[in-house]
Amino acid sequence: MRYVRLFALFLKASFLVELEYRANFAARAMVSVFWAGVTLVGAGVFFSHTETIGGWTFNEALVIIGLFTFMGGFIQTFLQPNVQRIIEMIRLGTLDFVLTRPINSQFMASLRYSQMFSMVDMLLGAGIVVWACIRLGYAPAPVTLAQFAIMLSMAVLIVYSIWMVIATLAFWLVKVNNMAELFNSVYDTGRFPVTTFQGLIRLALTFIIPIAFITTFPAQSVLGRLDATTLLAAVAMGVGLFTVSALFWRHAVRSYSSASS
Amino acid sequence: MAHQIEVERLSKHYQVHEKEPGLAGSLRAFFARKYRVVKAVEAVSFNIDAGEMVGFLGPNGAGKTTTLKVLSGLLYPTSGRANVLGFTPHRRQNEYLKQFTLVMGQKQQLMWDLPPMETFLVNQAIYEVPRADFQAILKELDDLLELGPLLKKQVRKLSLGERMKCELAAALLHRPKVLFLDEPTIGLDVTMQARIRDFIAEYNRRHGATVILTSHYMADVTALCDRIIVIDKGRLLYDGNFRALIERVAPYKVLKLQFEQQPDLSALAQFGAVARADGLTAVLHVPRAHAADTAARLLSQIEVDDINFEEPAVEDIVRQVFAGKVDGLSPEVESA
Repeated sequence: MRYVRLFALFLKASFLVELEYRANFAARAMVSVFWAGVTLVGAGVFFSHTETIGGWTFNEALVIIGLFTFMGGFIQTFLQPNVQRIIEMIRLGTLDFVLTRPINSQFMASLRYSQMFSMVDMLLGAGIVVWACIRLGYAPAPVTLAQFAIMLSMAVLIVYSIWMVIATLAFWLVKVNNMAELFNSVYDTGRFPVTTFQGLIRLALTFIIPIAFITTFPAQSVLGRLDATTLLAAVAMGVGLFTVSALFWRHAVRSYSSASS
Repeated sequence: MAHQIEVERLSKHYQVHEKEPGLAGSLRAFFARKYRVVKAVEAVSFNIDAGEMVGFLGPNGAGKTTTLKVLSGLLYPTSGRANVLGFTPHRRQNEYLKQFTLVMGQKQQLMWDLPPMETFLVNQAIYEVPRADFQAILKELDDLLELGPLLKKQVRKLSLGERMKCELAAALLHRPKVLFLDEPTIGLDVTMQARIRDFIAEYNRRHGATVILTSHYMADVTALCDRIIVIDKGRLLYDGNFRALIERVAPYKVLKLQFEQQPDLSALAQFGAVARADGLTAVLHVPRAHAADTAARLLSQIEVDDINFEEPAVEDIVRQVFAGKVDGLSPEVESA
């Protein structure tokens, strides 16, 4: 398929860019290991005082931490660089080059650049999940893995859509970097099980900024504790948000007038 | 369809917010924005045929770029109609997007950290150019523009001129039928400007591509375009043959004279309008039709050290058009 080939080409170009800056790679890898370590030690401190947090034991919470690190890596690798680029293109008017291409403009704008070094986080995160399962002495059944695959794809779709909505706001507000920062702060809550939070905050983290669907619920699915309602809710949430982001983008492009006349 | 590009009473109005200077003004603008409508393009009409090279002239903010953006489908017209190659640009159908290209001298599409070849390959994939065609087109562009070693150098290490050559190549890989060139020579030195100009002319000759060019450098337009469209404050002031405009606005040649001794000004005046006279030099405006015999008469009657005919400066002519000093320019008649 044409778009898959194009995406591969985009990835290749981005990878070539990263190879231009070798020192940056080493620094990035160190930062990744450092933050994964901070998260792990932090969790260790919490659990040295209590057996469970929000109903999750330390080893179970490790799965959440792994997914938190993985999704953080995904954001850093694919979403953040493109969103920054979109904001810049809107400000400078170079988005014209995207909009005059015979190709879906959202695809081109949102997947053009990636910061491959941050994949280190994705690998680390995946490693932590596997490590947690080993510590639990737990091997997920094929059905569980299939459910997890769905939940993870939905998590990816949800995160992508939220970032795209933020980026699209730049058409009107031009500078939205602080909104991206705001999302990152809220995303930080994803390192804890959503059950840790009470009342309104928990509701907000489930339905308004659905961090629960990004880390806690996929973690539940790895552990085979997912009920059908949550699975369906995740699919509805993923598809729904993606549709919203695509429609919003289309609307924005339509009302776009570039920076210099 | 009769013409390749048809523009009919096209208008584009923007809403812009205004900001008064200073902190107080900024704060006020942050909370309550005042809007104002800018008429960037107002009821502009013209037609362009396949293979034509047309120059858009006008001062900054005249509406040249806005018109190009409407034609590229980037802006929706407020009213009026545009049609290019049988397509309505703002629908941005892929079949249309594949047939034109937009080059903006002030903006770049090349990937900054990579050699231009990487951008070329991405464009090849986006425009679905078959490999064999791509090789052939690249070879031709390489010959015309002498890209050679540039293709393997990171864009950030290229000079402005080298980068522009690669920008043009990147924009032409899909062999577009229509080229919108928005100040393609901006910031380049004279030699490089000439190179780019020659390339555009040669490309037009070889492939019969239609070219709309905007430029601040009059030399670009004089060298490339027989036809010009003059726009100012969003309105079309002139559309027609460049030479015809010159003859209408400046129906004279410029005669530059150098004397050995102070000439008698009243004697000079009988040969033409004295535009300037100081000391041993004088400049006369002589009617075009009688230029040669006037010069001959003058030489026989007055002692002259040196004599020189020049065409009136194009910049001056265009300035006169902008200043509204030229009456009777009726664009509708010209373009019909």
